[in-house]
Amino acid sequence: MNLKNFTSQKQLKTDPLAEASNSELPPKAPVLSPAEWLKANLFSNTFNSVLTILSTAAILLIIRGLLSFIFNPLRQWSATATNMRLLMTQAYPEHQYARIWVSLGFLLFLTGVSLAFWRAGRSVLLSQVGKRLLAIGSFIVLVTLLAPFSSEATIIWLIVGVFIAGTGFLLKSSREDKTTSSMTLLSGAFLLAILSLWVIPYGHHSYISTRTPKILAEPGTVAMTTKLPWTIMLVVAICSYFLGSLIRDKIDEAKGKALLSTTWLISPLFLLFLVLRDPDFDTGHLFSTDIPIFLFFSIVGSVILLWLTNPDIGEKGRVISTAILFVGFATFLFQMLMIVRILTLVLAFFALAAPTFSGQKPARIRYTKVWIGTMVILCWLITAINTPSTAKVPGDFFIGGFAITLMIFFFTMVLAFPLGVLLALARTSKFPIFRMVSTTFIEFIRGVPLITILIFFSVMVPLFLPDGMDLTEIAAVTIAFIIFEAAYLAENVRGGLQSVTRGQHEAAEAVGMTNAQKTFFIVLPQALRVAIPPMVGQIIATFKETGLLAIIGIFDFLYIARSVIPGQTEFMGSTRENLLFVSLVYLVICFSMSKASQRVEKRVGLGER
Amino acid sequence: MTDNETTSSIRGERDLANAQDIIVCEGVSKWFGDFQALNNVSATIKEQEVVVVLGPSGSGKSTWIRCINRLEQHQEGRIMVDGVELSNDLRNIEKVRSEVGMVFQMFNLFPHLTVRDNVSLAPIWVRKKPRAEAEEQAASLLERVGIPEQADKFPGQLSGGQQQRVAIARALAMEPKIMLFDEPTSALDPEMIKEVLDVMKELALSGMTMMVVTHEMGFAKEVADKIMFMEGGQIVEIGTPDHFFTNPTEERTKLFLSQIL
Ligand SMILES: Nc1ncnc2c1ncn2[C@@H]1O[C@H](COP(=O)(O)OP(=O)(O)OP(=O)(O)O)[C@@H](O)[C@H]1O
Ligand SMILES: [Mg+2]
Repeated sequence: MNLKNFTSQKQLKTDPLAEASNSELPPKAPVLSPAEWLKANLFSNTFNSVLTILSTAAILLIIRGLLSFIFNPLRQWSATATNMRLLMTQAYPEHQYARIWVSLGFLLFLTGVSLAFWRAGRSVLLSQVGKRLLAIGSFIVLVTLLAPFSSEATIIWLIVGVFIAGTGFLLKSSREDKTTSSMTLLSGAFLLAILSLWVIPYGHHSYISTRTPKILAEPGTVAMTTKLPWTIMLVVAICSYFLGSLIRDKIDEAKGKALLSTTWLISPLFLLFLVLRDPDFDTGHLFSTDIPIFLFFSIVGSVILLWLTNPDIGEKGRVISTAILFVGFATFLFQMLMIVRILTLVLAFFALAAPTFSGQKPARIRYTKVWIGTMVILCWLITAINTPSTAKVPGDFFIGGFAITLMIFFFTMVLAFPLGVLLALARTSKFPIFRMVSTTFIEFIRGVPLITILIFFSVMVPLFLPDGMDLTEIAAVTIAFIIFEAAYLAENVRGGLQSVTRGQHEAAEAVGMTNAQKTFFIVLPQALRVAIPPMVGQIIATFKETGLLAIIGIFDFLYIARSVIPGQTEFMGSTRENLLFVSLVYLVICFSMSKASQRVEKRVGLGER
Repeated sequence: MTDNETTSSIRGERDLANAQDIIVCEGVSKWFGDFQALNNVSATIKEQEVVVVLGPSGSGKSTWIRCINRLEQHQEGRIMVDGVELSNDLRNIEKVRSEVGMVFQMFNLFPHLTVRDNVSLAPIWVRKKPRAEAEEQAASLLERVGIPEQADKFPGQLSGGQQQRVAIARALAMEPKIMLFDEPTSALDPEMIKEVLDVMKELALSGMTMMVVTHEMGFAKEVADKIMFMEGGQIVEIGTPDHFFTNPTEERTKLFLSQIL
């Protein structure tokens, strides 16, 4: 009996995709003229018309109020502009500032390559772009007419507005099939912003409301010190995008993406602790202690793990890995370097997970490589953190401002995520003790306001620490954030875990997977996918919550804006301007994160349908 | 009972009399709370035998077949699979599960993995095969079930019949000695049922030991060596298809047949 022929014929008929491809396009919605649209949507009856008029008036009033606030001659916008460096990096030493630009450049390089690899650009209809420009241009014109500008400023802004609207109008009527890449648009926007740095001396708004508007570029304003670096940054980003598209076609795309993702995870650590912090390594200590410890753990660990990943090892393996775990705990009873304790515990963890990933030679070698990679990163990080920095800054940390907001956010996300997953797994596990510990922890943390936890960690925890162990305030606060976010992420992940059907568990069990394998290969990937939308919400919330740093007196962005700058003699009382600027930054970042997450959701959902 | 005769079906003459017992159930009972789903079930299945389990809804067919790879735990009696007794010992369970393939009514494919990964995942991580070998095997199994060109798709992109064939390939990839099917065609549209049954027939021809819960009487008549009829958690009658469909002994069997035929 020839089964194959038979089924493949049959399958041609039933393949749902084959049918979908030659279906007809849906009919287009009829296009309304502006007047028709207005009538249909805003003035369909008397009541609606009244509402429309009232709300338009209200909106206009609000805009006018806001504008007269922003463009009031009493506003000291130069407070924000002049203090931009303080806001961004606090007192990071000026002669080492190149380090900041190098870090930023590297991140932009990564961004460019990643955008190319993930084909982030999407083609946009030119006519669509035209519509947007028209709207923006009209908005500028409207704002200019409402704002209390001097007549010259009004004319300048009117010209700008009309120019933009005009370009939009021209593009709007371009042909249906003319498109451009969203990447082009994005770099165009950045290019304009950077060009403006060369033209406009930010920090001086002398053309407002004065009879003789003057444009002055004082040395030291943001524009003067940043226009060259920013231009280089843009060039780097664009070049790396093209570089990325070139490489993409040459190498295995999946591997490239994996490499990029790892780089994304690791590079902030390198940038922060090696480039920005510029540790003053003590060569003697390095060769006598750090490197030997690293070598010992990577070699001994590799041998043990190679042996433990042997599929035939059986019960002996379990005994050995449990023994390592006990040794790891026992190290805390004796006087020894913290790094040894940490590495032993990590080794125990790897040993316990070994049976899950055991296999033939390539699989075992891969596992060992992951171990060595982990060792490299951990040893290096711990060493770098323990070495004094060359960037001498007042306070106990080498950087502040927006940079520290970003840094705490990054660490919170990277560490809270795995912790959250572990908590969720523990809460749904079969072992009552795990369930109890995890549930108590989660419920406790969720029942306490974040600010309490932050204060507790920044004030109390350092008092409880045993002798010889100290924790900088930043580290303590980061841990507080991690614990708090992990509890919330755990609940999101738990929701995802519960959404994985019983059939999936059974299918995995029926092919003989162990519990760990089932969790790692089948349940978690599906659960995380479901948990993405709530987790993104949580991530955005976390980013906003970093504002609380200001309350416990860490020199973050908000603290500088609220308390430091208004204290400077020439910018007395400029709190509102600075706070508005800070809100704007938060707004832009949170908004782009939620936009990006929508696209990620769509992509991740692709496999399922 | 016709248990020890040489059977003849589309599979030709086979000497089942001298075959080894591969599944042995002795007095298996199972309760869900107070409700007894299996009541003292005893049966033996020999190597290379194809057994079809019939019975009305709620008679405990699924419960029984799921006890055999311990997706459900029985509370009384003994189940031996290929010489290993199912008990609470985890290692025994994992061993039995990797010898017994299972195909579910709702397919239960892993939606986040491609068809190829669905098939090769367990061989790689449970059987510890090198990836290249496992993927090669996946390709040849997909060929065997007639969908070699779908390897890179995700399950959600396949028709029901195709999905069920992937599920069969996934189970076969573990090179099981026994295959369990729990109503493999009940969730399928009529035109897809045949393509799955064809794969199952081919599997039976190749000498696989199979235990099939199904309502497809045609399949039962044509392929089964033995039919077991269950009702109320008990095995009411065991016999060859000939015996079962033409002159069943038990009243309840007759009633069941008169309702469905
Ligand atoms: N998890 C469970 N909890 C409680 N009762 C259950 C459970 N699973 C099955 N049962 C009960 O056990 C009995 C046997 O169920 P089973 O699913 O084995 O029947 P079946 O013969 O497979 O029926 P069908 O042909 O409808 O699939 C049913 O009465 C059912 O209600
Ligand atoms: Mg059933």
